[in-house]
Formats: sequence, C-alpha cells, structure tokens
Amino acid sequence: MFKLTKKLQTIGFAMVAIGLLALAYGFIAGLGGDRIIANLHLNGFYFMSLGLIGMFFVAVHAIAESGWQVSMQRVGEAMSYFIPVGGIIMLLVFLFGGMHHLFEWTDEAHLDRILLGKVAYLNQPFFYIRFAVFFAGWILLAWMIRKTSRELDINGDKKYFNKLRKYSAFYVVFLAITSVISSWDWLMSIDAHWFSTLYGWYVFSSMLVTGFSVIVIFTFVLKKMGYMQHVNDEHIHDMAKYMFGLSIFWAYLWFSQYMLIWYANIPEETIYFYERLKYFDTIFYMNLIVNFAIPFLLLMTRNSKRVFWVVVPVAVIIFIGHWIDLYQLIMPGAVGHEAAGIGFLEIGLTIGFIGLFMLVTFYGLSKAPLVPKNHPFYEESLHYHTNY
Amino acid sequence: MYVSPIREPLIRGEKNYSQVTKDILAPMAGKPSKYWYMGMTLSSAALVFGAWATFMTIYYGIGTWGLNKTVGWGWGITNFVWWVGIGHAGTFISAILLLFRQKWRTSINRSAEAMTLIAIACAGFFPLIHMGRLLLGFFIFPYPNTRELWVNFNSPLLWDVFAISTYFLVSLIFWYVGLIPDLGTVRDKAKTKIRKAIYGFLSFGWTGSVKQWSRHETVSLILAGLAAPLVLSVHTIVSFDFATSVIPGWHTTIFPPYFVSGAVFSGFAMVLTLLIVARKALNLEEYITVNHIESMNKVIILTGSIVGIAYITEFFMAWYSGVEYEQYAFLNRAFGPYAWAYWIMMTCNVVTPQLFWFKKIRTSLVATFIISIFVNIGMWFERFVIVVTSLHRDYLPSSWVMYSPSLVEVGLYVGTLGLFFTLFLLFIRVFPVIAIAEVKSVLKSSGDHKKTAHHE
Amino acid sequence: MNNSYITAYYYDEEELLEGIRQIKEKGVEILDVMTPFPVHGLDKAIGLRRSRLTRVAFWGGTIGALIGFLFQAWVFTQAYVINFGGKPFFAVPSFMPVTFEMAVLFSAFSMVLAFLIYFKLGPGAKPIIYDERSTDDRFLLIVKAGDADETKNIEKALSQAGAEGIKHKA
Repeated sequence: MFKLTKKLQTIGFAMVAIGLLALAYGFIAGLGGDRIIANLHLNGFYFMSLGLIGMFFVAVHAIAESGWQVSMQRVGEAMSYFIPVGGIIMLLVFLFGGMHHLFEWTDEAHLDRILLGKVAYLNQPFFYIRFAVFFAGWILLAWMIRKTSRELDINGDKKYFNKLRKYSAFYVVFLAITSVISSWDWLMSIDAHWFSTLYGWYVFSSMLVTGFSVIVIFTFVLKKMGYMQHVNDEHIHDMAKYMFGLSIFWAYLWFSQYMLIWYANIPEETIYFYERLKYFDTIFYMNLIVNFAIPFLLLMTRNSKRVFWVVVPVAVIIFIGHWIDLYQLIMPGAVGHEAAGIGFLEIGLTIGFIGLFMLVTFYGLSKAPLVPKNHPFYEESLHYHTNY
Repeated sequence: MYVSPIREPLIRGEKNYSQVTKDILAPMAGKPSKYWYMGMTLSSAALVFGAWATFMTIYYGIGTWGLNKTVGWGWGITNFVWWVGIGHAGTFISAILLLFRQKWRTSINRSAEAMTLIAIACAGFFPLIHMGRLLLGFFIFPYPNTRELWVNFNSPLLWDVFAISTYFLVSLIFWYVGLIPDLGTVRDKAKTKIRKAIYGFLSFGWTGSVKQWSRHETVSLILAGLAAPLVLSVHTIVSFDFATSVIPGWHTTIFPPYFVSGAVFSGFAMVLTLLIVARKALNLEEYITVNHIESMNKVIILTGSIVGIAYITEFFMAWYSGVEYEQYAFLNRAFGPYAWAYWIMMTCNVVTPQLFWFKKIRTSLVATFIISIFVNIGMWFERFVIVVTSLHRDYLPSSWVMYSPSLVEVGLYVGTLGLFFTLFLLFIRVFPVIAIAEVKSVLKSSGDHKKTAHHE
Repeated sequence: MNNSYITAYYYDEEELLEGIRQIKEKGVEILDVMTPFPVHGLDKAIGLRRSRLTRVAFWGGTIGALIGFLFQAWVFTQAYVINFGGKPFFAVPSFMPVTFEMAVLFSAFSMVLAFLIYFKLGPGAKPIIYDERSTDDRFLLIVKAGDADETKNIEKALSQAGAEGIKHKA
C-alpha cells in the first residue's frame, strides 16, 4: 500500500509554492493578464488531460482484454483523481477574467461577420453547459471505474470484471467524443476565425502520448521508492513501444494538418501557420524535433526500450515537448507575439502544477492497493515476457 | 508464458501438431467441391463482363464512360479507393495485430494478406484503365527521357504511384516470406512427384532449422514494423488525392486518419464476408472460431465509430467555418439529388456497426455476415458520395451537372469483383489458407486442452 | 554436414528444450535443430546471437529515404524547375510521402534479400531434408558424433534426455 509520506507532501507543496510565486511575479512584473491567464489555462488543460489519459489507459486495455498492464494500471487510476482538480482550476480561470483574455468571441459588442456566424455555438452559456457535461461525464465514469476496480480487488468475481469492461467502454466512447469537442471549445476557439477538422484528434494524440509517458515516469518514481518491484523491463518495453509508436502517430497527424493547409494555400487557413512560422518559429520547429525526432531516434532499437535510463528521460522529454506543443497552440492567439515569452512565469507555474499533480496522484495511489491482486489478468501481468 | 484461464481458447478440438497440419492442408487436396466450381463459374462470368468493358474502354476510349467535364472522376476512382481500403485489413491483421501481440490473428492472417494482394491488384487496375492511352502508362514513373521531363512530385497522384507500388511489393514479400515455411510443410507432405517439385520450388529450400526460424521471426517482426506505418501512409496518400484540393467536401484536414479508419473498417468487413463462408466450406471452424469473428467485430465497432465521429466533425466544422460552399456541400449531400446514396451510406456505416455492441449480434455468424455486406456497401457509397457529390456541384452553379455510370463502367467494377473472387478461390486451392506454423506456435498456450496455464 | 552426426526427435517443444539442456550439460555439441515452428527460448538455448538483419533494414531505409528526398530535390531545383501552383521549388512537405515510401521499400527489400541470400533460399534451392516430419510435428535434433565410443555415449545421453528415433549417420 502506498504511503503519502510527509517528505513527499513537503516536496509537492514546495513546488506549488514556486508556482504561486511565479504567478505573483507575473502580476508584479506586469506581464499582462493575457499571458498570465493563458499560462493558467495551458497548465490547467494539460494536467487535467493527463488525468483523463491515465484513466483512458485503464479503460482501453480493459476493453481490449489485455493483461500485461494490470500491474501498472493503478497509476493510471490515481492520475484520474486530478480531473476534477484541473476542472476547478479551469473553471476559476474562465470565471475570473479568462473568457475575455482567451477568447475574442466573448467580446459580444465587437463581433465581426465571421464570429457572428458562430454565435450559436460560441456563446458563454452554451460554453459553460458543455463544460459541465464534459466534467460530469468524465468525473462520474472515472469514479465508477475506480470503484469497480477496487470491488474487483476485494473479491475477484467475474461480474466485477464485466462491469469494469462495461464502464470502460462508456468512458472510451464518451472521451472520444468529448475530447474532440472540448478541444474545439478550449483551444481551437482561441483562434476563432480558424478551423481544422483534424484538430480534435491532433490534440488527443498529443495528450495520449504524454499521458502514457507520465505513467512511465510515475512507475519509475514508485520503483525508486521501493514499490512496484514486479514491474520489470518487459512492461517498460511495452510502454516504450507506445511512446515510440504514438509519437510517430502524433507526427503523422501534425504533418497531415500542416501539409494539407500548406498545399491548398487558402489564406483563411494558412494565416494560422503563417503567424506561428513568422513569430514563433523556434517553438514551432522545436515542437517537431522534441516530439518526433527525439523519441523516433532514441526509442528505435529494441534494447533502448527495455532500459529505464533511456525510457524515463525520453518520457520527460515528451512531457516537456507536448507542453511546447500546447504553447504554440495557445499563445499566438491568446497572447500574441509581442507579449508572449518563456520566462519565470511559464516555468515556475508549470513546476507548481507538476507539484499539484504529483500530490493529487500520490493521494490517489494511497487510496487503493498498488497491485490489483484479484484481477483475472494479474497473474499474466506478473509472469510476462514480450517475446519480441 | 502465462495465459489466464478466463481467456477463450483460440483453437478448439484438442488438436495436436500433426492434426493441425492435416486440417489446414485438407482443402488443397483432392477435387474441389461443387460449391467451388459454382463460385468459379460466377466469378469467371463477372470477369468476362469485365474483359468486355476493358476492351470497350481501350478500343473506343474513355468516352464510353459516363464522365463529363464537371464530374471528371466517378465510378473509376470510387472503386479504386474502395479496393485499396479493403486491402488494408490484411496488412492490419498481419502487421498491426502482430505488434499488439494479438494471438487470434494467427488463423486469419494468411487469407487476409492474400485478400490484400488481390484487392490491391483490383485497385491498381482502375488508375491504369482510366489513363486513356494505356500504352503510355509508364510515363508515371520517373526515368530519364528524351522529352526532358520529370514527373510532378508535387502531385498526390504521383505519390499514389509510389505508395500503391510500395504497398503491393511490401505486402507481397511479407505474405510470401510468411508463406515459405508453410510451403515447406506442403512440400514435405506432398504425395506426388510433381507436387513435391512445385512446392519444393515455391518453398525456396526451407528446412526449418533453428537459425532460419530465428531470423525469419526477426524479418517478420521488422516487416510488421514497416508495414504498419506503410498501411497508414497508403490510404493517407490516397486521401491526399482529395484533401490537397480546394473543393468543398474534399479539402479537410481530417481525411487522412478518417480514410485509414474507413479502410480498416471495410477491409475487416470483407475478411468477415470471406471467412464466414470459407471456415464452413473448408471445415476450419475449429481454427477460425466464433471468438475470432467476435474480435473482428470489435475492430469493426472501433473503426466504424471513428468514421462516425469523423462525419459529425465534418458537419460541425462545415457550419462552424462559416464557409458557404462547405455548408452547401453537406446540405447537398443530405438533401440534393444524390441524397439516396448519402442515406444508404449513413445507415450502413453509422448505424449497422453499432449493432455489434450487443454480444448476441457480435457472436452471431448470420448477423455478422449480413452486417459485413452492408458495411462494404456503405463504404462504397461513402467514396461515391465524397467523389461525385463534391464534384457535381462545387463553386460555379453554371457547371452543375449530374453523373451516372455507363454500362462499361459498371462492367469494369463487376469485372474486378470477378477477378477478386476468382483469385481468392484459386488461392484456397493452391496455398494453405491458415498460417500453419503460426497456429502451431500458439497451440499450447491458447488451444483448448490447457489444464494448467503455466508453460515454459 | 560432412562429418558423421546423430539425429533424434521429440514430439513436444518443452521436452525438446529440456532435452537440449540435459545433453548440453553432458557436453554434446548440437549442430542444428529443425522445428515445425519457431520455439521460444530455443535460439537462446543454442547460443544464437542477435540478428544483424535489423541493421540491414535500418540502413536500407535510411538510404532509401536519402535517395528519395535528394532525387526529388534535384529534380525540382535543378533538372525540371517548374512553378507548380505557386509552391516553392524546394517543396519539403511535398517530398515527404515519396521519401517515406522509398524508405519503407528499400528497408523491406534489402532486409528480405539479405535474409534469402544468407540462407541461400530461393527458387530452385535444394535443401537437405533430414526428416520430412520436421515441418509437421517432429522437433529434430542433429548432434555431432565422434568415434564409436563417443557416439555410444551421445546416443545414451540422448535417450536419457527423452529423445526418440535416435539414428547415427556416418
């Protein structure tokens, strides 16, 4: 059973304190409401999504009737505790000035012809209703999966396994639809004149690979603390395969979106990339290098995928890389090239969120046994060889 | 490796290795059944119809088709995309399910890969035949020439040349490399000299030594690792044929992954159509079990749902974008003159796969067979709707026109159906339809006589 | 196989692995093992090292990608410089699909050709078939024989390890 020790709490709270300091710095240094809000929004969304993906890891493997991941799935369940926390932060950001700083379509007095055409969807009441529906569904389903997973622990009755699969199916379908719509609401509408049908899947793939990488990081940390000794290089090999393959998949979606807009050269679409290439070019290219080139090259060989000292650093790099991805999704539209930047506000605030996410996940880990011993696939997970 | 006792067995009938060999080689021996001859007759008739249509196209020209200035692409490209899509299931089963270690693929991958090769051949026929001056077809390849021309690397149609060629060649070697050991088995079990000589030739001298097997596994794994992104890239590049344009209903960024999902969706449906019949006709029900059918149906729910979400996204974005041409394209699809095609597509693609959420339907062979046919019909109509409705009414109303296929175009399509089934019927007589060695390698862990689950 | 050897077989791969372990302890030299399907753990038991085919595949792919990309770049910037729809001559996004396909094509073919050439597999190859059932249900062991005494000991070791059909081929 995991113990949330005083030492861990101290580290976590110290990191949160750095975050609050960064926030204060932002105000004092006069970095501007746009930039401060955008950073809160970025981190709120990022870590909330990681929570969603943590549960997605559990759910998707449950419906695939996969066995090897059972030894690690409590980490994913624990991450899902952050979903309501992230939700509250995002809501507070929206309610206290976020809407006007982030979304130009909230400026009801000055809507141009294009934005007027979108008013039936891009209006604040409907926005908040959708927000509520998303979080109600996510929180409820994640809670039911966690509950059923624990019931399965207590007695390995097959009916709980079937319930787990049923709720997992609901979660996966609900998440597939709502992650797409929520990314339109919270990210795409920042550049409200622009649109892309691939956008939702692109953002989802970004969160997916990061979420799986974060599971690896937590597993590693737990092992270093003496827990999860049964997780071996076989399990890490499979997680690294995900990191490798999903990074390539993300790059494929990135390229599809970019190339199609570049090729057709329609100004109302290309303006989006033009802004990023002109004013945020370093970030734009770094996004590709960090999120594609590095995982592709470093995780290609079989051996590299089996050693923690390659896989964990790459997981951290992926985590940083997709933060950069979100940065170039949000900042150009929300802040603009003159005010945006990466300084103590950005780094400190992210550290604060990491600390908070850590605390919540560790809290979640302490709420249930680390290993689901009665899960029907638990034995498979223990005696696991990938063979290739 | 430990296998949990709650998993359903993949091979029934308490087989041992020599029984596996016998069962799988049985369809290749003796005389074909009367159903085989009936099937061959039908498909050959279709092939003859196609031969006539091919003659008409080459001798009289593309004027024998129903195309016009506005609708420059019709049945031809619809069929091309439909066949390429179907081919994707074979590679998905062989490569992607291998990478995900799904043992249930072992009894279906051989025939699925053969289906892929035949489907790609049928697909490749359409770009060739639509060229008009077919004898100059080699122009599409980059080679130094006296005209001082090179091909247009900017064009998705050229990317297609590379993609389809690579896909065909790599699928071929993937299929054949996997087949070599099984051909060795056929050779060693051959009773007549001729048969031994033929399969000896085809099996390339395979002995089954440990080093051969070890390297063979490495090669299969790397080929799977290559084929997986390849299969994604091929239908992505096919989608680029449309998405790189500026036509409403065509130019949309979701096309690449949406086409790929649709391809796997229709491909699995075709695999189901073929295997539900083949397993019964060839007495292979203990290898291609209801469990296999159910797993394939789950892939159908997954990919069908992805296609459904893509449809919703497209409608929404057409409205959200505020682009009146895009909005009209979708209104026209649902309520214009081709609305009948649109609603067939929606019913078949969105509604029918969702039925597989119910276990009773998922495990019913009859229901699966019927639904698999509807899925393929739906996916044909999807390509038809995308191609024709977007072309027949785009930016300039004075160019708006209707399109309907000529008998020659129908004949070409029917001809490829004939080619497909003819080649598949030949395949089941000449080659083992199940990967013998692969099934044997999972027999102990996943067969139904495991008393304890511990092995190794 | 020019020297004398002994063949023996098993009907079960786990017994094969156990038998190999036993006879290796007794110092018997294994020349080859023929099996109907790849047996996991067998290559380790025999002492095979990791295949270099993966390296062939990697370099094949890299060469294919370079050829594809550089060729397109040359065509578009030197040989046939035409303005297609306002796109730049060095049109990197356009070059990606063909570059990728070339990488896959070269990688797959170089590896498979290397595999076939290394094992001398091909149309018309004449293999030595020790036991026709080794592609069906028999797991065949081929061990090195020695002089009359050694051969006797080896045969005894094999039968103790559960092998059947022990035959000496001089």
